[in-house]
Amino acid sequence: MTELIYLTVLLPLIGFLINGLFGSKIKNEKIIGTIGSGAIGLSFIVVLLILIETLGKPADQRVTIVTLFQWMKVGNLDISIAYQVDQLSILMALIVTGIGFLIHVYSIGYMHGDKGFWRFFAYLNLFIFAMMNLILADNFVLLFLGWEGVGLCSYLLIGFWYDRKFEKSTTASAAKKAFVINRIGDFGFLLGIFLIYMTFGSLNFTEVFTAANHIPVDESVVSFIALFLFIGAIGKSAQIPLFVWLPDAMAGPTPVSALIHAATMVTAGVYMVARCSIFYAMAPTIMMVVAIIGLLTAMFAATIGLVQNDIKKVLAYSTVSQLGYMFLALGVGAFTSGIFHVMTHAFFKALLFLGAGSVIHGMHHEQNIQKYGGLKKYMPVTFITFLIACIAIAGIPPFSGFFSKDEILWYSYAKGNFLFWLIGALTALITAFYMFRLLSLTFFGKERFDKHHVHPHESPKVMTVPLIILAFFSIVAGFIGIPEVFSGEGGNQIKNWLAPVFADAHSKKITYGMPSHFVEILLMVISVAGAAAAIWLARHVYLTKPGLADQIANRMKKGYSVLLNKYYVDEIYNKLIVQPIYKVSDGFLFKFTDVKIIDGTINRTASLIDLFSNNIKRIQTGVAQFYAIIMMIGIVIALFWIIVSLI
Amino acid sequence: MSLNFILFLIFAFIAATSAVLMITRKSAIIAALFLILNFAALSGLYLTLNAQFIAVVQVIVYAGAIMVLFLFVIMLLRPSDEQSIFDDNPKLKWLATFVGVLVFAQILAIIFIGRPSDGLTPDLQRSIEVGTIEAIGRELYTTYLIPFQSAAFLLLAATIGALILAKKKLED
Amino acid sequence: MIPTALEFQLLLPVLIIAAGILISLIIEMFSSKSEKILPWFSIALFVSTAYYSLLTVGHERIIFNSMLAAGGTANIFFFVFTFGAAIVTLISIDYIKKIGMYYGEYYILLQSAVLGMMLMANAQDLVMIFMGLEQMSVCFYILAGFNRKKIKSNEAAMKYFLLGAFATGFIVYGIALMYGVAQTMSIPAIANGLLIYSDNIIFVAGLLLFIIGFSFKIAAVPFHMWVPDVYQGSPTSITALMSTGGKAAAFSSLLIIFTPLFATTQSTLFQPYLVVIATLSMLLGSIVAIAQTDLKRMLAYSSISHAGYILIGVAAGSELGIASVIFYLSAYTFMNLGTFGIISMIENKDEGNLSLNDYSGLGNKKPMLAALLAIFMFALAGIPPFAGFFGKYYVFIAAIESNLTWLAIVGVLSSVISIYFYLRVVVVMYFQKDENILNVEDSSPALLGIMISALLVIVMGIAPGSIINLISNFVK
Repeated sequence: MTELIYLTVLLPLIGFLINGLFGSKIKNEKIIGTIGSGAIGLSFIVVLLILIETLGKPADQRVTIVTLFQWMKVGNLDISIAYQVDQLSILMALIVTGIGFLIHVYSIGYMHGDKGFWRFFAYLNLFIFAMMNLILADNFVLLFLGWEGVGLCSYLLIGFWYDRKFEKSTTASAAKKAFVINRIGDFGFLLGIFLIYMTFGSLNFTEVFTAANHIPVDESVVSFIALFLFIGAIGKSAQIPLFVWLPDAMAGPTPVSALIHAATMVTAGVYMVARCSIFYAMAPTIMMVVAIIGLLTAMFAATIGLVQNDIKKVLAYSTVSQLGYMFLALGVGAFTSGIFHVMTHAFFKALLFLGAGSVIHGMHHEQNIQKYGGLKKYMPVTFITFLIACIAIAGIPPFSGFFSKDEILWYSYAKGNFLFWLIGALTALITAFYMFRLLSLTFFGKERFDKHHVHPHESPKVMTVPLIILAFFSIVAGFIGIPEVFSGEGGNQIKNWLAPVFADAHSKKITYGMPSHFVEILLMVISVAGAAAAIWLARHVYLTKPGLADQIANRMKKGYSVLLNKYYVDEIYNKLIVQPIYKVSDGFLFKFTDVKIIDGTINRTASLIDLFSNNIKRIQTGVAQFYAIIMMIGIVIALFWIIVSLI
Repeated sequence: MSLNFILFLIFAFIAATSAVLMITRKSAIIAALFLILNFAALSGLYLTLNAQFIAVVQVIVYAGAIMVLFLFVIMLLRPSDEQSIFDDNPKLKWLATFVGVLVFAQILAIIFIGRPSDGLTPDLQRSIEVGTIEAIGRELYTTYLIPFQSAAFLLLAATIGALILAKKKLED
Repeated sequence: MIPTALEFQLLLPVLIIAAGILISLIIEMFSSKSEKILPWFSIALFVSTAYYSLLTVGHERIIFNSMLAAGGTANIFFFVFTFGAAIVTLISIDYIKKIGMYYGEYYILLQSAVLGMMLMANAQDLVMIFMGLEQMSVCFYILAGFNRKKIKSNEAAMKYFLLGAFATGFIVYGIALMYGVAQTMSIPAIANGLLIYSDNIIFVAGLLLFIIGFSFKIAAVPFHMWVPDVYQGSPTSITALMSTGGKAAAFSSLLIIFTPLFATTQSTLFQPYLVVIATLSMLLGSIVAIAQTDLKRMLAYSSISHAGYILIGVAAGSELGIASVIFYLSAYTFMNLGTFGIISMIENKDEGNLSLNDYSGLGNKKPMLAALLAIFMFALAGIPPFAGFFGKYYVFIAAIESNLTWLAIVGVLSSVISIYFYLRVVVVMYFQKDENILNVEDSSPALLGIMISALLVIVMGIAPGSIINLISNFVK
């Protein structure tokens, strides 16, 4: 069964080709949607079967490499299209195909009536194709191919409604922004890949990681590799300072935000760092950098999310913040926890976005939460599932978010330091606060919309059923990661499952003793209590005393507007980086270098060759005898050479 | 100065001159006739090499059948005398002659430097044996079976081609 | 020695085609609908031969008194010839009707030409090479002039015939000189004594004349002069086969001669010659193609430049060099067939619509054809991820590994120049305003053939490593 892994990549590709080439001719939305969703659904089943088969194998035999064909061999570099089926990639594949499938089904309802319906499904399938390549690759080249592929699809999908306006400019510029910023990260990623090849002479995961584990390598080299790779992750997973594209990416249709910018693509960076865990384990300074950036991003984004009024923007900043948590986990060496949070976050964030989509759908594309209110009686299913997701993300047990987030907080204390835990915990409180702010303003309270013009309604089943399924998993998914303090030694299922993947990395790190179980439970209680308090506070501010929020905002005008304008980061970037580059690019590089020097040289060379061409072609007189003479001249010269060289 | 050598000189001279004359004549009939002479001289050369079968076949097939066909076609077509491209471009004539002479000189040089006859001993008996019809026939049907059969396909293709290209009216 | 049954079995690809010719002749004689039956019969013939050739590629033996070699690289060439011919037949089905040369003999001659190519590819004897060469050439002379009503076609046939016969004369003279020294026509036997013979000026001169004659066939400078006129004047479907199968067959014979040479210490004997004509071909082909406005003529010059690139692989004189030549020829065959296929579809019955400007606006009028043509143009220019890029890549690597780095540099420069005229087509198709009304009759068989070519070009570009490994296995 494991050899069939290529199906999981092939099926989305086929779906893309069918919908892409023939979609505009198939007028039936149901067919297009079924092809698109079916491809991913089948892929999910294949991964599931592979999972079952792998579970049956002993723990040290769970890694299989399936090679399809050799792509190219350049000198010593042998690159094949091959997939590494192991615990980590199976887990990621389940998330991608499973949630991907649900979102495809949801999109059938959400994108109903859109004139680009077929294009949407084609792009979505292409995205899954690229993402699967990314997580299943067994070498850096194929991974990078998938990396770029998801970047491309992100661009295509953000700018899907290419003729619409978005904030101050167009959706197209939001797409472009995402692409360009990703590129900056990719530059670092590429440097990392080059360095890996220079150091280890191969780009194949197994070869590189085994070499890193056994052959003594200079720590500074490994640090640079880790750093460059992390820069790539910063771009793709929207950390400081390259997170600015993610809020703008909300210009795309909501299913896109759910799939790409919450559950899957943005976690590619986390996956990559986890996959390269051994590099990070060998470069403690960089791990510290990872942790700090993750932590700062988490806090930073959470504060911005506090005051946003667009429902999707809140969720976007929440995503950035949660991604920060994942990197915090990786940075302190809790790799399993980071991946665990990827999984739980995928469930509840996708659910949140799809729920938001449901609300937007029902409110005729109004996205400003100040114009919502009291929607729970119009959209009960959406409300309940959204509520479940909010509880999960706030970290209230026994929902999934509690297990994963608390494990991160615990390790940030145990393997990091108290400050890490403190900031992390505060961010968790802020998270709980703004999520319930969102919930309250949307579903509770007075209805702030014009009842005559807006008729909110529940979404059709094709949209609500995925919500229900995701809600279910948001509740139970945490149980595979019950911390050992409750489940006993070896009771944390997901930790056991992923342990072999990170075994080498863990062996490189020096482990100090862990604080006691008592501290663990104490911290747990503090964070849950804090979350509950934050929830109560949110309800208080936004429901029981509606005017309170505005009062506070007025009192802290400066602070409020800084937060509302996301610390003016975009504006700072624009002034400090974008404009100067633009000026140099246009004035100097373009007007002078490009037009005068490069174009000039090329045009002059081309004219020269054109001159040659027109003159030489005259030799072709059309007279056969003349051709024969030319041939004879050639023969004369050749015979001459023979005679001279062999006398 | 054996008889063999004298005969070789005579036949070679006739062959070479008739070839050059053939190319330089402007009238097609005269050129064809010189070609026949050339073939006859070649046949003589074959005889000096004891290749009896080839010599006879040369006369029968080449000079007899093919050249007769040529003459028939020339008679039916009645082409006017050739207009040489050298009339328009006399400089080309000198270039062509020069190049031709150069190649000739080079090949001569190669042969005389290479001295192919050194180390070869003439074996008269064997040479006569090899030239007989039986010997040729045996080789054609055993060692050279494949080239022989492929020649058949070549002739087939040529025949079909000639028909297609020359037939006056073809049903579309 | 009487041939054994096994030898006949190994000869099966050739026998199938030969039998096919005879059967086609009978069909042509007795059936009035022969023009409808013959193309499909030919395709069946070609495809089955192609399949069988690939199947038996591992059975390498020299058969029939060392006249022929079965298996190995010969079978790979068989595949290229027959599959290419199948695609050409698909293209021809509607084309010959459109142009007005709707005769069943066309297909018979196509099959005969393929027979000649196959004999050239698996010959192990100088006589055999010559027989195959003549077979293929005669069929091409006839096919070039097949469009009797058009004077350009007649002119093409005449020029091809005259100059071809001229070149064949040199080949035969070369064979004679070589035979005179080696006293055998059999290539394995000559290969054994190569070290001794390569000091002998007569042998080397003979070999040189032989190679020069073949340089004519592969359209290398300065023996290329016939190519523009003949490619332009011949019917487009024939140009397709000539420029691909014909060139591949000539190269295959060259490889038969060169492979034993490369195995000895004298591998660089002809390197100066090869390097010079390679350089000249690449540069002249690319530079003069720029000035062409007629597409077939432009492709003729492009063909000359591609011969130059392939010659780099021959000049390299290594195993990788030979493998890269075979890979390049396969890739080039399909790229070119696709291109000519599209040209033949767009061409109208008075031989119009062949100039570059006639293609303006094709992107809007016929998007699928334009997209396919764009793929082929990119592939010919050597842009990844299509097969053309990897063809050039392997050839250049072979050159660099044989210390011919500057030759690879010339190759790269020439590729850069060539990008201009290839992409010019794409630009005209998509960005130039259309000035004329283009009436293109869709031909489904031709479209099928073109799409198969495109598929092969893409596949060879995605998995080049596997293919070149396969080929290298059989190059010794």
